[in-house]
Amino acid sequence: MVLENPYPPYFEWLFSAGTTPGAFWIWLLTVVLFIVASLFVAWIISSVRNGPMKAGDLIFRSLVSLVDDLAHTSPRRVFALAKLAVQESIRRRVLAGFIVFVLILLFAGWFLNPGKTDPAELYLSFVLTATSYLILFMALVLSAFSLPADIQNKTIYTIVTKPVRPTEIVLGRAVGFAAVSTALLVVMCGASYLFVVRTLDHTHELTADDLAPRSPGPGGAPRPGKQGRTSVTREHRHEVVLLDETGHGLTESAQDHKHEVTAVTRDGQTEYLVGKPLGQLKARVPLYGKLAFVDRAGRPTDKGINVGNEWGYRSYIEGGSPAAAIWTFSGLRQADFPGGINLDMTLRVFRTFKGDIEKGISGSITLRNPDNPKVSYLLKNFVAKEFSIDHHQIPLTFKDKDKKEIDVFRDLVTENGQLDIVIHCLERAQFFGMARPDLYLFKREGIPWVNFVKGYVAIWLQMLLITTAGVMWSTFLNGPVALLATLGTMVGGYFVDFLGNLANNSSLGGGPMESFYRIVTQENLTSELERNVTTLTAQWGDRLIRLPIFVAARVLPDFSSLSDVDYVSYGFNIPLDLLAIHVTMGLGYVIPVLILGFLFFKMREVAK
Amino acid sequence: MASQAVLDPAVSSPADAKTDVVVETRNLSKIYRDFWGRQKVRALKALDLEVRRGEIFGLLGPNGSGKTTTIKLLLGLLFPTSGQALVFGKDASDVTKNERIGYLPEESYLYRFLNAEETLDFYGRLFDMPADLRRQRTGELIHLVKLDWAKRRQLKEYSKGMTRRIGLAQALINDPELIVLDEPTTGLDPIGCREMKDLILDLRDKGKTVLMCSHLLADVQDVCDRIAILHQGELKELGRVDSLLKIRDVTEIRASGLSDAAKEEIKAVIARHSGSLVSMDNPTSTLEELFLSIVQDAEARPGRRARVEG
Repeated sequence: MVLENPYPPYFEWLFSAGTTPGAFWIWLLTVVLFIVASLFVAWIISSVRNGPMKAGDLIFRSLVSLVDDLAHTSPRRVFALAKLAVQESIRRRVLAGFIVFVLILLFAGWFLNPGKTDPAELYLSFVLTATSYLILFMALVLSAFSLPADIQNKTIYTIVTKPVRPTEIVLGRAVGFAAVSTALLVVMCGASYLFVVRTLDHTHELTADDLAPRSPGPGGAPRPGKQGRTSVTREHRHEVVLLDETGHGLTESAQDHKHEVTAVTRDGQTEYLVGKPLGQLKARVPLYGKLAFVDRAGRPTDKGINVGNEWGYRSYIEGGSPAAAIWTFSGLRQADFPGGINLDMTLRVFRTFKGDIEKGISGSITLRNPDNPKVSYLLKNFVAKEFSIDHHQIPLTFKDKDKKEIDVFRDLVTENGQLDIVIHCLERAQFFGMARPDLYLFKREGIPWVNFVKGYVAIWLQMLLITTAGVMWSTFLNGPVALLATLGTMVGGYFVDFLGNLANNSSLGGGPMESFYRIVTQENLTSELERNVTTLTAQWGDRLIRLPIFVAARVLPDFSSLSDVDYVSYGFNIPLDLLAIHVTMGLGYVIPVLILGFLFFKMREVAK
Repeated sequence: MASQAVLDPAVSSPADAKTDVVVETRNLSKIYRDFWGRQKVRALKALDLEVRRGEIFGLLGPNGSGKTTTIKLLLGLLFPTSGQALVFGKDASDVTKNERIGYLPEESYLYRFLNAEETLDFYGRLFDMPADLRRQRTGELIHLVKLDWAKRRQLKEYSKGMTRRIGLAQALINDPELIVLDEPTTGLDPIGCREMKDLILDLRDKGKTVLMCSHLLADVQDVCDRIAILHQGELKELGRVDSLLKIRDVTEIRASGLSDAAKEEIKAVIARHSGSLVSMDNPTSTLEELFLSIVQDAEARPGRRARVEG
């Protein structure tokens, strides 16, 4: 999994990270600027009708009244309105959404291939994505139509003429619909996990005939135990090496899992039972190090070579030279790695000549003492696996090329727990590409079902954003328009980065008008346009809409960053820091959006 | 105040009237505008009126006269274009005034997926009423509007009259001081009308203030103490019903057991005093009273059939 934007620790993200202001200060500034700008626009519009003094008075009174409403919001009334929203949702057949979800799960098996290389990733990604789309769609429809329907049917009259504040009406709807969606999400979470576990569950057959005595060791010395292969199930089989004479053991890993093998004697015959898959569902807790480079002359450098890729995420090191990538890990303690240090890599390869395309490019892993770089030992050579995770293990002790036993923690790890892992590319004129998250150690394993639930928390946050946005839009728009506006908010939220590029004029092909011109005239993205009235008009038009796009990019929630599907499906633990960041981001949007909803509802006439 | 309005001569001094004023409008105007702010309809023009505590006040007028607009402005459902609307001395946009108000809209806009108990419980919660009080009030009001037998049915299964009654019940859930009724008898059968009117009178007798608007003149005449007549957004008449309807230069005498000779003598007395006899005949009851008496009799003696006059 690629971590393009590694997250910082929570409080560093929230308040400050060196010279970069923290998210809280950026949020505060954005909210203050938005409020000031909105009040100014409202004053201008009101001045046209009422004159500047009265307009100022009206706005002041509205703000004071809003603060009063917020201060006197009654939980009992909010609960009553939320309960009404729940009852309304049930009446509107919201449970049909859950039935659709069950149907999707039931028929998913026809289309998903459990024999895929990493079936857990496929199934987890499927259930999380299906749940996301379904729950977000339901939240969209529920939240956008409720208030407009009440206003159209005039049922709102009997509520507004009670001592109910606008804050209570808006909050009651948002809480009610969020509660319904949350309940559905909890059920979907349980159903999805059961579906994944049941679908991934399989076993193999292993008979006595499949096993043979182990091949002799070095020097022809016989070795105890048996070896063989299981039957093929779901397009894979496992190699089996039973070291134990009792016949118990673990199979080798295939499709990222193993099985436990147990020998049972029945009627004088030994049968081998292959248990459920182990380790298919993971929640790895990676430990990332700092990355530095050494160039082909052996000099330390911050970055490697750019081989010409537009996306400069990875730097490259040249093979067959002193160039290397060095990861420095901190905080290593022997107690945290009882069985050895698990290491994963996702290196990229850049070939300057094709060579033997069937054979991968070789590299080496060297362990080094950061305090004394001369103390380094070659761990192993490897063949780089592109586009898949390359698993290795650093044993706690190993023999170097001189057959000397090396104890990793005694000989290489410093007193404050630091260790360097050095990667070289061994083949001349070929390159390895890497970024900081491309090599990591496993400190420990999290609990897979807890991690699964954390993935659903991210979906819940997205649902909460959609619900509050839908309720806010519906306070002054009719149902279909509120639906479109909410949908626009969601889609815009998924493309916030793109909107940011448009606002900065850093996207290829110019802004929307210039791009439209290029499409119509079949010009490519990079060609210089002929200077004429049309192109100048288009470019000027793009300049004008750059400001609203800039505002949209800053104000819209970044939906894609709230998604943790990749973490769960690739088997990475969602760190609590990241979860806290997401929750804070969610609340950072929900609260101002709700306040906007209160204001809009207060300012509108309910009757016609 | 409109130039043609007639002030009620029986009103007490302005100082006394002010302390008893529950609803007050001052130069209240409402202009409906389109999306672009252009004027579409001038629904209310500079309305000045007061509703005093403990009276039944009727707003009359043909369709489009501004009655419902006035009600909506008083309840905060609409914002005035100019002027003020005050309820219990507070601006109409102040939600706290709603603690003391009950409102029955024209069509009893209620949530049809709730049953009667759930409906009253929901509205009771909106008044922050504790659970035991809500339960008590719900039971009392369902009994008052005679819907005990249908309290667990969803409102979508109710007839128009039943919906109206539960609408009235929700308007009374908080035991309000001011009850606002918009066309309270519309759609009700004669028995329902009679019960509604009796209820309105009963509320007045308990010290409540009732503001109702209607275009059914007979109903207004039966219950209202004072009325205001609106036409095209302007106040045309304001005063006590009995005072406004009194025909001052005609005397009505009702007597029973008079012989023909006595009737002739009365005619002669009128002529001797230079009066002119307008009419001397047997008075007629109202169709409503006839209907109610027939229904009562039918309930008391089922099976009795009418004799057709040949």
